[in-house]
Amino acid sequence: MYKSFHGVGKIVAIVSIIIALIIGLIAGYFVSLSLAPPSLSTVTVAQATVTTTSVKTITVTSTVGVAPERIVIGVTDKVSDIDPANAYDFYTWEVLTNIMGGLMRYTPGTTELEPGLAISYTVSPDGKEYTFKLRPNLYFADGKKVTAHDVVRSIKRVMKINGDPAWLVTDFVEDVVALDDYTVKFILIEPVSYFPALVATPPYFPVHPAYKPEEIDSDQTAGGVGPYKIVKWVRDVELVLEANPYWWEGAPKTKQIVVRFYKDATSLRLALEAGEIDVAWRTLRPTDIQDLKGKAGIKVIEVPGAFIRYIIFNTRIPPFDNELVRKALAAAINRKAICDKIFLGTVEPLYSMIPKGMWSHKESFLEKYGEYNVELAKTLLRQAGYSETNKLKIELWYTPTHYGDTEVDVAMLIKEAWEGTGIIEVELKSAEWTTYLDYTRKGLLGASLYGWYPDYIDPDDYTSPWVNTSWTGYAYSNPRLMDILREARTKPTIEERTRLYEQAQDIWAEDAAIVPLFQGKLTIATKEGIEGVILDPVMLFRYWLIYKT
Amino acid sequence: MTSLKVFIIARAIALIPTILILVTLVFFIMRVLPGDPVIAIVGMKAPMERVVELKKELGLIDENGNEIPLIVQYVNYLMKLVQGDLGRSLIWGKRPVVVEIMEHLPATIELAIAGFLVSLLIGMTLGTIGAGIGGKVNSAVRVYSAVAYALFIPWIGMMLQLVFSVGLKIFPVGGRIGVGLEPPTYTGLYILDSLISGKIDSFISSLKHITLPAVTLGLVISGVFSRVTRVSVEEILKQDFVVAARARGLPEYRIMLHVLKNSFIPILTMMGLQLALLMTGAVLTETTFSWPGMGTFLLERIQYRDYTTVQGTVIFFAIIVSVMNLIVDVCYAYIDPRIRY
Repeated sequence: MYKSFHGVGKIVAIVSIIIALIIGLIAGYFVSLSLAPPSLSTVTVAQATVTTTSVKTITVTSTVGVAPERIVIGVTDKVSDIDPANAYDFYTWEVLTNIMGGLMRYTPGTTELEPGLAISYTVSPDGKEYTFKLRPNLYFADGKKVTAHDVVRSIKRVMKINGDPAWLVTDFVEDVVALDDYTVKFILIEPVSYFPALVATPPYFPVHPAYKPEEIDSDQTAGGVGPYKIVKWVRDVELVLEANPYWWEGAPKTKQIVVRFYKDATSLRLALEAGEIDVAWRTLRPTDIQDLKGKAGIKVIEVPGAFIRYIIFNTRIPPFDNELVRKALAAAINRKAICDKIFLGTVEPLYSMIPKGMWSHKESFLEKYGEYNVELAKTLLRQAGYSETNKLKIELWYTPTHYGDTEVDVAMLIKEAWEGTGIIEVELKSAEWTTYLDYTRKGLLGASLYGWYPDYIDPDDYTSPWVNTSWTGYAYSNPRLMDILREARTKPTIEERTRLYEQAQDIWAEDAAIVPLFQGKLTIATKEGIEGVILDPVMLFRYWLIYKT
Repeated sequence: MTSLKVFIIARAIALIPTILILVTLVFFIMRVLPGDPVIAIVGMKAPMERVVELKKELGLIDENGNEIPLIVQYVNYLMKLVQGDLGRSLIWGKRPVVVEIMEHLPATIELAIAGFLVSLLIGMTLGTIGAGIGGKVNSAVRVYSAVAYALFIPWIGMMLQLVFSVGLKIFPVGGRIGVGLEPPTYTGLYILDSLISGKIDSFISSLKHITLPAVTLGLVISGVFSRVTRVSVEEILKQDFVVAARARGLPEYRIMLHVLKNSFIPILTMMGLQLALLMTGAVLTETTFSWPGMGTFLLERIQYRDYTTVQGTVIFFAIIVSVMNLIVDVCYAYIDPRIRY
């Protein structure tokens, strides 16, 4: 019966056509917007007006396109606390480095330190007192004068709040005093030869008095003494930085930097391809990087990073308490396969905990075990009492997302390489990051995968944190190694320290309790025309150096 | 008091045990999950002293370092809850949970409304066409319903991004609005706020940003609506009153209005049921389009074991879904006068 309802069909068809027309009109409008040549109504216009302090203010008047004085950076990272007293993640440190500064800083493109807010420093003969002389022309972004008292106030604030990164101050500094308006003296608990490197980290950055004196001020945007100031901050959405007119080094090359936060690497990559962002920064996936390398109008820049990956063998859990087993496992890792097959060459094999590019780096694991040395592994395993009929059975733990979704593949290739000896049987086990950390701290994992981002750029940060400390759930301890590291910490010259760290790396390889796997490269993709991108093992992207041509 | 009023009051009171059960479930499930929230917050490098200090601060252990029993923590939490205190987040500045929710909620509401409208538009139009024309068109709509419902949101989202963002450059890949174009806040819904404030640039930008996420979400949910509408309209078209109406010579459009009104009860029921799906779908849609709403917010906080925020958010969702279902029930009575409680 209802098939006779042609009238109904007609009405529905007419309604549908009207709706389709409306949708078509709207779509047509948008198409015309996107295809139309740039005009005042469709292209963002930067209108410069001079204020009383001769600062140029950018007024945004439309949506599409990017103003010439603005660079848009896309990231998948998050900003945790815009407070150096509690921020302890790499991306937030990067943001802090762009809105604040330390007494010392790294020369862009190198791991060499140079004076930042300080002009110079002196060290007392016993190495326990560092006295820094401040530049006379330091101002916060609101024009307020910066003195040595601000430096002291900020560092004492970090010590008082005792947040996550506070140990970078409290483990080393006994007291800090202002000798006059331009002189700051640090009294150390014991001599530390890399103290200038510590001073270059965010917990030592002077902050504006607007920061709450005794508690964490997560969303405080007053900043410190840096090239940029925050003009807008919407958590997980957008961070807008504008040139700080009072910065001691003069105006940055780009007036406005906008950081847009993406939820995943795919969106980040698509945003670059769609032209919504100028720079795709942390963190693109290896496959995206490979694809982007071939795209017209996009540049991909790669440099060695200081991020390392490694395996920990818990020497308190059998069979990892057996040195022969650990050595065999260290010998049977196929690092090149991991780097080429999984990361498509975006990481490189690492044979020491101290990364390549850093002074004192020595490939001790390569010297001792070679690359994927199955025969050596078999020999060592037989010495340990294992054979094809009496296989070594172990568990390898990994965490599936914290180090990226390639982690399961890394674990699979290690398993494959170990089982390639014919004498090892590996069971893969995984746990989400929070659980993984919990198990780690409790010392429950026998063999497990981890990564390390440095706190400060010094070989000490790649060695001391694992020796005789409990955070990994067990204490890897070697008295000779501890003595060497302690001595290396206090020796004043790089030559003396290099000799000691080389010895330390050899002992490390001999013990094979913590085995390096690979070292990350930093990769950034930009549109053609973006210049001044300088990356180095310090791993912080300096926004004040980039510009558009 | 009318029966409807009694019903509304009874339903409102019934919300309390519903929410209490949810709070209890979430409270205990979050705590029996492996993974220490404090370790998740402080990270792997923090010294043990810092871990202990934070545990004290969060009320997980007492001054002597002894663990506070879960049941005591639960009672403490409930006591605060009845005072309207959802607590403070465990991470990133430890801000009040209510503030965090209010920051993310408008984005999700905006996306949910837009997605819902798209799904109704597509679903009901196709369903009516299928039932009205019948034959192959009806079969095609049936196939569409099945396919649309089976679509995986991140996949369809990415396809739309590739075509309309990367290829045609018509719509943005992600985000809620262009740089520097946020309208003044009245409702938190950018489209509405930009209209209220008369900012055309903001209006166009927010409309462009919401199009792809709304279409993605709407397409997937439209499968259900097209199916329900099709079946419902087919059923009504068979009824005697339609024949009688035609026999009396009523114009077709008036007949169709009666048909649609009578078909609306199952569609309305489905709307209520789809609210939960809308929220789940929003999580995936928000992730794909970097939409700063509740979905991604909740997911992230679960990963960080941010107990208080997760609990607060779940309670909030529970209230929203319950209230919406209540509204749907009330709408039944309005649309169909035979329904009384």
